[in-house]
Amino acid sequence: MVKKILIMIHLVSSIYAENAFERNCVSCHQKLPASLQEMFKRYLLIYSSESNVKAGIKHYLKYPSKDISRMSDLFIETYGIKKKTSLSDDELDDIVDSYWDKYKVFGKLK
Amino acid sequence: MLASKNKATNSLLKSEKKSLFRFLALYVLMVIFIIAILASYYYQTQEKLMLSNQRATLFKYAYVHAKRLKVLHHFFDERRDYPRDPRFKSAIYDIDKKSIFSLLEEPRIHFDEEIYIIGNYIHFIKSLDDFYLGTKYIIIEVKDDGLWREAIWKNILAYGLLAFLFFSLFGYYLAKLFLKPMHDSIVLLDRFIKDTTHELNTPLSAILANIEMMDTDVMLEKNRTKLNRINIAAKTVSTLYKDLTYLTLEQEKENENEYIDVKELIEDRAEYFAILAQSKKLTYEFNLTEATIFMDRRKFTRVIDNLISNAIKYNKRKGVVGFTLVQGELIIWDTGIGIKENKIPFIFDRYIRFNHSEGGFGVGLSIVKNIIDEYHMDIKVISQIDKGTRIILKW
Repeated sequence: MVKKILIMIHLVSSIYAENAFERNCVSCHQKLPASLQEMFKRYLLIYSSESNVKAGIKHYLKYPSKDISRMSDLFIETYGIKKKTSLSDDELDDIVDSYWDKYKVFGKLK
Repeated sequence: MLASKNKATNSLLKSEKKSLFRFLALYVLMVIFIIAILASYYYQTQEKLMLSNQRATLFKYAYVHAKRLKVLHHFFDERRDYPRDPRFKSAIYDIDKKSIFSLLEEPRIHFDEEIYIIGNYIHFIKSLDDFYLGTKYIIIEVKDDGLWREAIWKNILAYGLLAFLFFSLFGYYLAKLFLKPMHDSIVLLDRFIKDTTHELNTPLSAILANIEMMDTDVMLEKNRTKLNRINIAAKTVSTLYKDLTYLTLEQEKENENEYIDVKELIEDRAEYFAILAQSKKLTYEFNLTEATIFMDRRKFTRVIDNLISNAIKYNKRKGVVGFTLVQGELIIWDTGIGIKENKIPFIFDRYIRFNHSEGGFGVGLSIVKNIIDEYHMDIKVISQIDKGTRIILKW
């Protein structure tokens, strides 16, 4: 019984995180010319591993700046820098985890 | 004479052989150790040389692979086919050394080395500055054909063996050089004994003959005791003389083998030494059965004389000298001072004497050993300090 409850809680939290990612990220980024996939690859090119990529994205979301942005100057000049996130650390972690799981390279190459 | 000298001096003594063997064993071990170190150094150098030759090729493969990863990175995730090359196998790892994708046959990777051999494979690791697909490390793997290793082993074996032979011969020469002073002193002593032996014969024969001729019945008791003492001394010298002449002259003579009545000979020789035994108040204990042996009488007499003489010389006052004889086995035992267990292996060496309170040159048992070796007989010494010694002769 306890096991079933735990599975349910996990499923619900995953769906919530997925929704949070869709709600908080995809809704704005889909209007931009650079896809989330492209941005993910830019982070990968600099940070390499899962822990580094996640830490890098989280840092940028909390403290967005032109200096540490992975995007080109032209892109920033055109679309500007995003606003500082209002999400909590836990919410950010969930969202970044969803982002990593969606675009990671692990298990996709053949 | 010359032949006898050569035989006595050219052969190495047991103690000399032991020293030579110990030195050579130590020397050979040292040589093997040095050769092993040099071989190991040579092996490592050759391995490094081979790897540095391979490095250029593998670096080129890694460069090509990085270019392909760059392309894949840009087209990911429309394209997901990992780049493959028939010349090598590869793998990509992220900065945390986590495998992103791998085609390697040998999964053990040493990230702290640039190029290395593992199992039957050579790995080359290239670190990237731009992490395409998250790749920090590209690992290139090629099969190691092992031909270089065969060539190295052949060289090590051939040159190692040559060096070993050379150093062994050199060591043998060195050991002989070190032992030469000891050998020379033995030769000198040997020559001295040979020269002096001749001069002993005439006066000794005269003394013994005159003692035999004396009429002891008409003598005063006091004089008879004195004559007995002279007789004992003369017989001791005579035994020594016979040993020395045997060593210097007679051992080269042709053997005149015959069937000897051992019981009779023992009784005869015991009687000969009786006066010596009486002087120490020793008693004889005989347990003799009929036995024969086929050998040279002079030589067998030398064996018996030396064993009886030792049993008397190294006995305690009022002790016992025993004889037990059955066909094929003679035991001569005493109740004397005994021999230390660690000295027993050396008692047959020439000039070895463990007790200097008694006279002699230390040649008696060496003669005994020579003779029993010549006749393929067996001698065993069982001794206990302060209890006595038991010499067992088997034929």
